[in-house]
Amino acid sequence: MKHEMLLGALLPMTALVAPAYSADYLTVEQAQRQFFPNASQFVDSTLDLDDDQRDQIKERAGTRQRRDNQRVWRAEQEGKNLGWMFVDDVIGKHEFITYALAVSPAGEVLGVEILSYRETHGGEVREASWRDQFNGKTLDDTIRLGKDVSNISGATLSCRNVTDGVRRLLNIWDLYLKHA
Amino acid sequence: MNQLSRLSALGAILATFTAPATADENLFGSVKGAETMPEGSWEVYQIFTDRSDKGTGDYRALDSTTEVEYGVSNKFTVGAGLKAIAVESKGLLVDGYIPGDYKRDLSVAGFEATAKYNFLSPALDDFGLSGFWEFDYMSIDPHSGRDKDTLSLESALLAQKYLLEGQLIWVGNLSMEGTYAKRGEINNLPAGFEWPTDPEMELEFKLGSGVSYRFAPNWFVGAEINYETEFETEVGQERWSVFAGPNLHYATANWWATLSWMPQLEGGGEMIIEGDDLHLIEKTKSEARLKLGYNF
Repeated sequence: MKHEMLLGALLPMTALVAPAYSADYLTVEQAQRQFFPNASQFVDSTLDLDDDQRDQIKERAGTRQRRDNQRVWRAEQEGKNLGWMFVDDVIGKHEFITYALAVSPAGEVLGVEILSYRETHGGEVREASWRDQFNGKTLDDTIRLGKDVSNISGATLSCRNVTDGVRRLLNIWDLYLKHA
Repeated sequence: MNQLSRLSALGAILATFTAPATADENLFGSVKGAETMPEGSWEVYQIFTDRSDKGTGDYRALDSTTEVEYGVSNKFTVGAGLKAIAVESKGLLVDGYIPGDYKRDLSVAGFEATAKYNFLSPALDDFGLSGFWEFDYMSIDPHSGRDKDTLSLESALLAQKYLLEGQLIWVGNLSMEGTYAKRGEINNLPAGFEWPTDPEMELEFKLGSGVSYRFAPNWFVGAEINYETEFETEVGQERWSVFAGPNLHYATANWWATLSWMPQLEGGGEMIIEGDDLHLIEKTKSEARLKLGYNF
């Protein structure tokens, strides 16, 4: 019987043929310019978070802060704070989704942009009609999928994790940047 | 085994010449997740299961299922599949089950039709729950490789929970399958060998669970466990067994592959060797499974 060779023959083949698929739509710099066209500079304000801070974020946001540093830039015009732009990764169905969140100095969402999305289904999260749901939201809002943020069928996990990510980043703004 | 060679070539071609798309929830070899496919999407699977070693003699079997699934709506998925079986047994004589040496090359054995309805979405409702139904017709006994007509209807509940934002996934399955079976006649049976050809009914219950952890983008490693027991009209509880083992899943945006290995940890019921702690009449010492899928 030769079929015992089958598994051994197919497995390496499947490993070798995996194309690395990614779709990068915006760079960080492009997103910065899009959200804050009048900014004269973007000050790297990356936050280094210790375990206690990450626990605090999880407690307030209800979702885990996976990284111990959070990328964020302050947009300035002649020294005036125009707002903040976060860049964050959340788990998609198979790969990370990279997105940017712009927040006003008052803690209001100015916009969400998907920088990289690598899944087949659910590319609608990139469409303005879905992303615009976040505009104007603050921590006074629920910001929960299925409540004040609508779902996209076929990309429910991606939608949930981006929504939870926006809520988490707003909490980070409230904790560490509100008075910065 | 020419048919098998063709099938393996098809599987390799399928895996090789595909452009990116997304995978369903086939993180496991045996247990199933609660996610359904997006409306209007298609998925093609090729599943090979290698069943080997009955503790005595020489026994190997290969099951092949080629299946296509379609998302009728975001909550309802249907599928249809073609099943094939290859069996070779030498030095085995199990009264009522395996009537001596036999070899059947990979042959079309039957078909299946499936349906899955999602009651609760694991991502949206926090806890996922789906109903799953499968109807099978088979013309070959998967154990002996001899002629046997079976009609089966399985009904299952599939639960799924995302943990750590989906980095860790738990699934739980509970299923019941009823089977009507009728064996074909065999000439030149060994003297005194029992090979009943009257119709029989079988009832199988399965309880399964698995966890899968995403350790790198696209890569998942997991473990799964299955308890199965079957009751049959002639002997009552015919068998029970516990299989458990690791699995590895890789998914690109378009295609995915899952490899699992499930050794039998414990078993009972009708036994080849009295006092043994594994059920090896209808089961084997281990099952290795390779699943390939393509989404479009």
